[in-house]
Amino acid sequence: MIWQLDFCVLTLIVICAFATIMVKDLLSAAIIFGAYSFLMCLLWTEMGAVDVAFTEASVGAGVSTVLFFAAVYQTTRRVGVRKSGRMLSKAFALVAALLTGLVLVIAEADFPGFGDIFTPASLHVSPYYITQTLHDTNVPNMVTSVLADYRGFDTMFETAVIFTAGLAVIAILRRFKKEDRCDLPEPYVISAGYPDTIIRFVARQLVPFIQLFALYVVAHGHHSPGGGFQGGVILGASFILLAISYDFKVVLGIMSERWNVLLGNIGVLIYAGIGFLCLLLGANFLDYSMLSKILPATDKIMARSHGMLGIEIGVAIAVMAIVISIYLNIVSHGKYDKGL
Amino acid sequence: MTIAVIMLTLAGLIFFFATTVGILRFPDFFSRMHAAGKGDTLSSLLMLLPLALYNFHEFDLANMLVALKVLLIAVFIFMASPTATHAILDAGYEAGIKPWTKKPEEESP
Repeated sequence: MIWQLDFCVLTLIVICAFATIMVKDLLSAAIIFGAYSFLMCLLWTEMGAVDVAFTEASVGAGVSTVLFFAAVYQTTRRVGVRKSGRMLSKAFALVAALLTGLVLVIAEADFPGFGDIFTPASLHVSPYYITQTLHDTNVPNMVTSVLADYRGFDTMFETAVIFTAGLAVIAILRRFKKEDRCDLPEPYVISAGYPDTIIRFVARQLVPFIQLFALYVVAHGHHSPGGGFQGGVILGASFILLAISYDFKVVLGIMSERWNVLLGNIGVLIYAGIGFLCLLLGANFLDYSMLSKILPATDKIMARSHGMLGIEIGVAIAVMAIVISIYLNIVSHGKYDKGL
Repeated sequence: MTIAVIMLTLAGLIFFFATTVGILRFPDFFSRMHAAGKGDTLSSLLMLLPLALYNFHEFDLANMLVALKVLLIAVFIFMASPTATHAILDAGYEAGIKPWTKKPEEESP
């Protein structure tokens, strides 16, 4: 912790947050929000939470910015301006925001200081993870083991939440019939539509490396920052890169809608299935140590490591499919005919 | 070694400064992107090279791997950054932005 650096980053974060709200152009707001996410990522790194920083960089600064762009592309750049003076409602909103802020500030006083070693969490829970993770699970990165093993149930439902979000986007946006139920203005013509050789060539060269890196992040999550979420998002981002640089249809050719939704299901099912497998083998739900009965040449400790790898793969598949499907739905206005 | 690291970092900082000045002071979209694209690429390379060099204070396999990864990042920046600049410029050109000229414009676009 270098407090000068922290101070600079925090000041910039506050400026970015204000700018995101104040800017009238939604595209600019999306870009500033990306900068905000990246600054948050710097702050996480500064605090030593490298895994969270990785997630913030890939999800917050990367994919969500693209999703905002896609949404702006399909709707409008302008904020609706209300001219009539609704001073009363504005004053009410200000008072509500100030009261909420006041309550939060008061509640914040009850929190322990950052890095306080005398809190119950630091005295009892954290030392166990720090000292016993390697001994229990043979996984050096304790964030991975806490997420995927000790707190595996939480992570399973996080995956389920992402899956549900994808389903919600499909349910709201996807339109199978030809006619429009609501008329939106035609999206801007950003490009004249002729293929740009340079962009296509570089994207074609980069995509294999991006996907390889994503697989590395998934598989190496036991030893270094990363894991299923980050790897899945990077995999999805590589497909989005293809869709932007080439054509909407190219991605649909590689990964059709049917496969996409199916993969989302399969990912969550891999996670839950490994849990049920443990249940069938006579252990608790998601207690991977019992997997040593069916995995060859593993003891109970190594089985936990392998079980974590299994569920990370499941998470990666689910997240990748959901990211692609959200992007395709937003950018094609749910019609899957043409898009950015 | 340390001197080389310091010199390279300083050079990178100078180029970053020039890039920032260029973005702020150049008259139109195309020349600003020119400053951003070229300056950014070169200065990030100049910042990453000393990072890779700095790892060689103790020469062993682990440091070598870290240095190799840093160099890989440099390679990818060298590929991706000019392409992104090109993509933005191309979009701007197709959107019909007029390049800046020294002649005063008679009619407003």
